[in-house]
Amino acid sequence: MAGGNGHEEHTKWVMVIDLDRCNGCGACVTACAMENNVAFTGEEENAYGRGMHWLRLQRYWEGEGDELRVRFIPTMCQQCSNAPCEPVCPVYATLHSEAEEINLQVYNRCIGTRYCANNCPYIARTFNWFDYEWPEPLNFHLNPDVTVRRRGIMEKCTFCIQRIRRAEENAKAEGREVYDGEVQPACAQACPTEAIVFGNWRDPNSRVRQLAASQRAFKLEEALGTEPKVIYLAGGRHEF
Amino acid sequence: MAEAKQSSVVRVAVRVAGVVLAALVLWGAMLLYQSQQPPAQPLEFNHQRHVQDLGMSCLFCHSNAQRGVSAGLPSLTKCMACHNNIEPTTPALQTLQAYAEKGETIPWVPVAMQPDFVYFSHRPHVNAGVACETCHGEVGQMTVAEPIKNQNMGWCLSCHKNSVDAEHFVKLSDCATCHK
Repeated sequence: MAGGNGHEEHTKWVMVIDLDRCNGCGACVTACAMENNVAFTGEEENAYGRGMHWLRLQRYWEGEGDELRVRFIPTMCQQCSNAPCEPVCPVYATLHSEAEEINLQVYNRCIGTRYCANNCPYIARTFNWFDYEWPEPLNFHLNPDVTVRRRGIMEKCTFCIQRIRRAEENAKAEGREVYDGEVQPACAQACPTEAIVFGNWRDPNSRVRQLAASQRAFKLEEALGTEPKVIYLAGGRHEF
Repeated sequence: MAEAKQSSVVRVAVRVAGVVLAALVLWGAMLLYQSQQPPAQPLEFNHQRHVQDLGMSCLFCHSNAQRGVSAGLPSLTKCMACHNNIEPTTPALQTLQAYAEKGETIPWVPVAMQPDFVYFSHRPHVNAGVACETCHGEVGQMTVAEPIKNQNMGWCLSCHKNSVDAEHFVKLSDCATCHK
C-alpha cells in the first residue's frame, strides 16, 4: 500500500485481494448475490448492460494461441475515502458513513438519478431498471438483514455492512472487541483460496495490514486520488 | 370594468377552493396514516390478564428479545406448559385447546412491524436497558396488542440523538445502523 499519503486515519475497514491466489472460480460473485439479495437479470438484460452484479470478475486476456493466458481481477465498490459518487447525489442517498468510514447507499432515499454511477470510475454501481422477482423457491434464500431493492434504485457493494454490524453487535453483547477475522464479507468467506481478506486497518496486527505491506500492493486507478479501501496484490507468478 | 371585477372574484374563489381541497386531501392522508388497526389474530390473547393480573414478564413469552433480532412469538408448547392445567372456559381458551389437540402452531400475526428497508434488532436495545414499554406502549394494560402510531424515523431518532457522548452519537445516527 502506498503508505504515508495521509488518508489512513480515515480508514477502518480494508479488503486485500491477492491476485496470485485468485483463479477466477466465481464463488465470490455467487456468494455476494446470495448474501445481498442481488437480482438475477438474465442473459438478455445482461447483454443490454443491465446486469446487477455488485462484484464482477474482470478478465484480461494476454497472448495468443498456445500462449493465451487469462488474468482475473475481482472488482467491486472500492469504498473510496474520496468518493466521486458522493458529492453528485442530490438527495444524500450515497454518503460516507462516519462510523464505519465506508460509502453507504440508502435505498429509501435514492430517487434514481444515476449521477453516482456516471461518476464512478470503477463501474461498481448497478441500477434496478425493473422490479426483479425471485420465483418460489428462490425467494426463501433472501437475506432478511438486507433490503430487497425496488425498481429505480441504485445499489452497490456495501462491504457486507450487515455482517460488520452483526459482528460489532455480537462483540458488544459479549463485552469484548471485534477480533481480527471476525468480520468476513460473503465474498471473502466463499473464496476457496483465501484470495480475499478483510479486516480492520486500525489494528496494527491485523492480517490486512500485514498483507498490504507487500511490495505487490496496488490500488485501482490510484492516480485519480479516490483513495480506495480495496488493496490488490499484483499477480503474475502463477498463470492459468 | 364589471366583467374584470367578476373574473378576479372568480379567480380568488378558485384559489380558496384549491387551498381547501388541498387541506382536505392532506387531512385525509393524515387520518389514513393514523388509522393503523391491530391485525386480526387467530385467538384473542389477553395481554392484560397475563402481564398485569398474573405478573408475567414480557420476556417469558418473547424470550428472544434479549438474544436476537426478533423478539419472537410464543410456541404452542410454551402456552400449553401452563394451559394444560387450565380449564378452557372462554372462546379464546377453547381455540387454544383446538390448536393443541391438532398439534398445530398458532399462526400469530406480528403487530409491531417495520418496513423492509429498516433493520431493527431487539438485542442492543434490551441490553442497553430500554424498557419494552418505551417502544411498544403499555401492552400490559391492553387486551389485544395494538401498534404504536407514527413509529417513523424521526421517532427512532428522538432517542438515538440523545446519546451520552460523541462516539455513541456517530454510531447511533449513522445511516448504516438501520438501513442496510
